[in-house]
Amino acid sequence: MKMKLKRIAFYTLALALAGCQVDDDFDGPDLNDLYGAFSVVEGLDISDRAVDFGTGETTYFTARFSKNVDWKLEITGLTSGAKKEISGFSTFLNADNALWNGTVSRLPMFRAEDCAVQLTVENEPDTLRDTLEVLGGRINEGFLLSDFEDGFPTNWVPFIQSGANMSFNVQTNNNAAQGSKYYDMGGLVNWDWLIGMFDIPATAYGNPTFDLNANPEVVYFNTLVYKQPAYSNGIILFQFREDDNMDGTFNPANEDMFAVEVHPDQDGWQLISLKYADLATLVNGQPSADIGNGIREPHKLKQISMLYLANPTSGYAQSYLDYMIFTENAPLRP
Amino acid sequence: MKKTILYSLMMLCTAGALHAQSAPRKVTFTGAARGYFMGDKLDQQTAVEDTTTVPRLHSGHVMTDLGTHIRPNNQMEIIGMVRVRNDYGGFWGSGVSFDVRQLSVRGVVGGVVRYQLGDINYRMSKLTLWNEDQEFYNGFSTALRQQMDVINYDHFYNFDNAWRQQGGAAEWGLVFKRFVQELQFQAVTTRNRTSDFSGTSDRLFSGASAQLVQSKYLSLGLNYVNLYDVSGTSRNKALFHNPVWTTTMAVQYDKNNLKAKADVEWGKSKTEIRKSTEAPVINGNALEAKLEVSHTKMGWSVYAIARKISEGFLSPGAQTKRINYNGQPEAYQRLGNEQYLRDYSVMDIMRESAFYTMQLQPYLMAFAPKYDNITPYGTATPNRQGMIIGAQWTNQKETVHANAEQTMLQELRGEGTRDARQFSRTSVQVRWHNDKKLTNTRDWAIEASMRLDQTTREGTEFYRGVDLSTQTAGLGFEYEILNKLDVLAGWQWIEYQGFDFVAVRDEYAQIFNFTEYAVNGRESITAAGLRYRFSEKSFLTAQLNWFDMNNGVAANRDYDVRQVMLLYSITF
Repeated sequence: MKMKLKRIAFYTLALALAGCQVDDDFDGPDLNDLYGAFSVVEGLDISDRAVDFGTGETTYFTARFSKNVDWKLEITGLTSGAKKEISGFSTFLNADNALWNGTVSRLPMFRAEDCAVQLTVENEPDTLRDTLEVLGGRINEGFLLSDFEDGFPTNWVPFIQSGANMSFNVQTNNNAAQGSKYYDMGGLVNWDWLIGMFDIPATAYGNPTFDLNANPEVVYFNTLVYKQPAYSNGIILFQFREDDNMDGTFNPANEDMFAVEVHPDQDGWQLISLKYADLATLVNGQPSADIGNGIREPHKLKQISMLYLANPTSGYAQSYLDYMIFTENAPLRP
Repeated sequence: MKKTILYSLMMLCTAGALHAQSAPRKVTFTGAARGYFMGDKLDQQTAVEDTTTVPRLHSGHVMTDLGTHIRPNNQMEIIGMVRVRNDYGGFWGSGVSFDVRQLSVRGVVGGVVRYQLGDINYRMSKLTLWNEDQEFYNGFSTALRQQMDVINYDHFYNFDNAWRQQGGAAEWGLVFKRFVQELQFQAVTTRNRTSDFSGTSDRLFSGASAQLVQSKYLSLGLNYVNLYDVSGTSRNKALFHNPVWTTTMAVQYDKNNLKAKADVEWGKSKTEIRKSTEAPVINGNALEAKLEVSHTKMGWSVYAIARKISEGFLSPGAQTKRINYNGQPEAYQRLGNEQYLRDYSVMDIMRESAFYTMQLQPYLMAFAPKYDNITPYGTATPNRQGMIIGAQWTNQKETVHANAEQTMLQELRGEGTRDARQFSRTSVQVRWHNDKKLTNTRDWAIEASMRLDQTTREGTEFYRGVDLSTQTAGLGFEYEILNKLDVLAGWQWIEYQGFDFVAVRDEYAQIFNFTEYAVNGRESITAAGLRYRFSEKSFLTAQLNWFDMNNGVAANRDYDVRQVMLLYSITF
């Protein structure tokens, strides 16, 4: 009996001691990060200092710190003023957490230009600086309607009211969101909401309907809109006319016309991305019953119209438009 | 197995008057009554006299619990208990309150299933549903426990560590003639929280267990509990779910006067908020194995416990604390001319009813590292592994009880570092009393207890090491100077000093920060008084208590409270 008890006690003790292992991982933030001293172990470096995003190239940044920190990398286009921010919480920057593929965090888009790079660490005074050169801006995949780089598309159909100080033309300067050109819309029309508009027929691209995916859940309409700080009254109305019965014509009495109103609410350029499935039928700006089959069918889209509107009593209105593109599966990442 | 006999576990469970007599009376009365008075005098040791805080506080009440047990037939009992309480100074009914303290129905269905509806006391195992004692309760002497006993009675904290819940429970059993002696089943569902029909869903606590008693040598068990939100009872789609499963095994072997017993409980838990994209799914497991060898004739026993509770093991039924350390004391809540918030003390643990909770909490509650940094959530404290060894001795006359225990635990997973905290606890308790019935002399008893806690972890050049220690010592004395008139005295000393990082957890119990916790203090309570025992169930006691608080970290925070306490208590 005593021997048995001794054995049981021995094996119990051995089992207990063998089981007392401590995890390699730990809970909560690293105490070293909270209380450790900060220093830059390896300075800022750039893998490709002359990167051509137009050919699909990328570049990444490297640095190493003595502890985990909240760091922020800021890249600024010296010509365009475009900005890209990459941030993280780690002891190092590398291709996994500091890769740049030419996208922006704040419009306009990067173009061929020199860029300043700045790396800062929260609660630390150190700022690491460097420069790189962008040889070519990023090319986005999608159905590009126009970026106005070749002027106003010839097959688009414009209509401009005969108001005062009317300005519906393509401008060329550094204000462009992409490239060097954009469409400037402005004017004073004190008898009507409509200031000017243009139609984009599918035939302008060689087909009776736009060559888009039939699934409205994966199709996104994107454009870049600029709001002048001095004017807040501009409204941009996009209309999407579908040829529901595919007879080659759009009949407003029994075919769908979806629409969306854009009220630019922040100064400067902003990205407007609309999922096709979210488009609604609007009557006087209010959601209404669908007119046609009620099905969002991007592949039956026959014509897009852009109407620039403003309250006739609100005075002069002006906005810019650039880079109109359909993308698939995700909104535009400029 | 030739025959299987089915019958109620009521025969096995002797508790309850329902089956205590062959012909029970139709109506019986039970209850309790209490008169309680406290007079406090505060004295602060400050450089500048505190002219803001009122130093004297008087409070107290008289209350009675009137319970009625109605038995319409032999298989049903209805229990209703009403509390009438009048705070001292509440004249003309202004301080009177009427509460329903208990309302329940219990009985037997078909002589097979025993059930209880309404207010029920329920416990299962130490890892599933177990109401752990509050800090210091076990170390306090009789004189100091009296005020804690008042709190425990008011909050339904019973000696069997059951939780008071509202709901329904049922139990039934099977008895076999061969191979297996008994198979017992229990099921319970209680309502833990009510819906507000907006963002808060109904929360239920359900449990079930099956116990197989093979023989006196072996029994096996299976326990399941779940604290969960009920879908559709509010507009909130996110639903808390915390199922816990454990299996138990008890093996016993005895030969001559030696008895060996092994108890094992192993389990898993899963904590999640369904339909929430933010809440993590937390999985955990737990194991406790106890081996005990005792000598029945010599009265000694030694035991060893191996414990491994993972950091993700969450079991609200077993980890909910009695004390809510986020609460504020009502007595002397603010002190000093600047009226700073007074930190809780052992005096508050002893008597502050508002500190205590009765609702199971879904995640880990706050705790007081200075009082217990090793097992703040009892046996089921997560992130602990190691051994506990102990020895107990009781003499043949059962007048001397002594036990000593050594706890050696460490974390499974470090907090903020890969280094694990090491925990050490040494505790000794002795009670020596005279049994008047055996010696035909006066009753007397002497109690002594001591506990040394230590938490350590290495530091680095950047952050401090952990070194937090708590020492407690207690003495108790009772002597019957005249027939049924006792002199009582008690002394408790608690000292703590050191440093630790206390984890700051988010709403899902995930650690997102640490706060530096530095303490250096000493608290002591000395009590002396008289007690007259009218019977085994009623007494009157008058005590003088001195509570002394020394704060070595913050200046001008030392104070002491002198208390006069008068307590009359009767249960019937």
